[in-house]
Amino acid sequence: MTAISSASGQSAAGQVRPVVPPVPRPDINRKRLARMGWGFSAPALVVIAAVTIFPIVYSVIMSLNNVTVTGSGFSLDGFTFSNYNLLVHASLWRDALFFTVYYTVVTVIVELVLGTCIALVLERLVAGRGYMMALLLLPWSMITVINAELWAYIYNGTYGVADAILSALGLGHPVILGTPTPAIIGLMIADIWKTTPFVAIIVLAGLVMLPGDVYEAAEMDGASGWYTFWRITLPLLRPTIALAVMFRVLQAFGLFDLPYVMTGGGPGTSTQSLAILAFNALFKNLSFGPGAAVATSTAVLVLLGCLASLRVFRVQVGQEGN
Amino acid sequence: MRNRKRVGWHRYINGVIISTVVTVLFILIPLYWLIASSLKAPLSVGNSPPSYGPTPFSFANYKNAFVGYDFGIYFRNSIIVTLATTALVLILGTLAGYALGRLPMRGKFTTLVVLLIISVFPAVAVLAPLYLLMRDIGWLNSYQGLILPYTAFNLPFAIWILRNYMLGIPKEMEETGRIDGAGALRTVWTIILPQALPGLFTAGIFCFTACWTEFLMALTFNNSNNFRTIPVGIADFGGNFQVPYGTIFAASVVATVPIGILVFIFRKFVVSGLTSGAVKG
Repeated sequence: MTAISSASGQSAAGQVRPVVPPVPRPDINRKRLARMGWGFSAPALVVIAAVTIFPIVYSVIMSLNNVTVTGSGFSLDGFTFSNYNLLVHASLWRDALFFTVYYTVVTVIVELVLGTCIALVLERLVAGRGYMMALLLLPWSMITVINAELWAYIYNGTYGVADAILSALGLGHPVILGTPTPAIIGLMIADIWKTTPFVAIIVLAGLVMLPGDVYEAAEMDGASGWYTFWRITLPLLRPTIALAVMFRVLQAFGLFDLPYVMTGGGPGTSTQSLAILAFNALFKNLSFGPGAAVATSTAVLVLLGCLASLRVFRVQVGQEGN
Repeated sequence: MRNRKRVGWHRYINGVIISTVVTVLFILIPLYWLIASSLKAPLSVGNSPPSYGPTPFSFANYKNAFVGYDFGIYFRNSIIVTLATTALVLILGTLAGYALGRLPMRGKFTTLVVLLIISVFPAVAVLAPLYLLMRDIGWLNSYQGLILPYTAFNLPFAIWILRNYMLGIPKEMEETGRIDGAGALRTVWTIILPQALPGLFTAGIFCFTACWTEFLMALTFNNSNNFRTIPVGIADFGGNFQVPYGTIFAASVVATVPIGILVFIFRKFVVSGLTSGAVKG
């Protein structure tokens, strides 16, 4: 039915005008396709904008206002910079920032070194590499809250297995989660257990993709294993490692689950991350202004980190051969 | 060749094997402790010094998690939120990934970079406004109150992954569809989608894992007993004085089994997701 009518329409058009090319002009086609593209992306982009971009903007507005909590909600009472003033002068924010940065730097370095070692070993593993990969993915896929509860139990002062082992070794009964430095180390160990395997997989994938002929040349020149590692493997791995580090660092700025469940930010405020500080300010003390300021400061730090590593992003986009 | 042939006993005892065993133990010992503790009798979980095997052996903790506590409800909530989010992310992500990968749109590059930045943004930055919004529209303690933010936070990564797979599909296949007169949506459904199936697996398993493990938003938005997901439920098992570790670990084992099986089945796709350039924790 449609075929017949369109055919007759075409012959009618042919009588009036000379032959026109049946395909629409490419740039019109392009425009149509572009419109279709935005139509296809619109639902996803709208959802993302609604839940991320607008709230972030609102967070910034909130942090720049005197927020009063009322019975039915809250009201914004005029522009002020006092929330940020409070932030800069409060030792709480500085301590949280210091803890977050310190924790991030130490865990990322340890995870990177250990992860690279594991990857180098697994690369030489002939059989069962697939099963090893699956095993490495297990800690990655575990719920962080479970990880936190498990290690809190291990560190427990009365019935924890760490206490039993340490006292059997003649090291006495250190209070692990109740003293600042051991608590921080305890958190780091839990984090390292969960995330090192993940780093190992990324590095391993990078290793497998390295060109083999470089190594053959190095071996012909009589290069030692160490020399080959430092002068060939590591430089070639740098893009992989840089990307992994960047994402780990940015992600670590949102650090919340592990210390919140394991130590509650304590003892005192020694393991209070920026996210915990913001959460407590917002939902425990209901101080929305300062809370929003802490949250915004976290977001700004992440954004600065992103901008600083935009070159890595660009490399990544470029690699896909746009 | 980097891998030299090993002869004699070196084939069985060498640095590689020993290091591998150390790695395996490093991962498995804490997991063993989790499982062993969950299988002890509830009171002997608090023994000092602890017994190193699951003795006295008992399933009481498992029973307690479902009967004494409402772990069954939390499990159901996690399943509903996770599956709904994953489905939404895959549908919206496929459409957007196709468009951003294959259609000639201006501003594509900027959109993709913004998406990448959003995918590493800390959730705490949007927590307060979202909480107030959800309170005003009555979405606190509801499934959609988690599904919507989870969808938004997992979409950027899914779009990236799917776009990367879409880029690899030869143009001729798509044109075949267009010449046959198939509409745009049908082209995506019948021609693009089967080709992008590995990408769907990768995006799906990442989204599933992220939803299954998410804690901060679940804690903030869904804190009533009927809408808690597993992470919030497990974190709240503890009373004021006594932490019921036996019950917590039994629930933890039950919560880890499904995700463990999924990751094992889809391990190839997880690894490809981790290494296709878009790295996410």
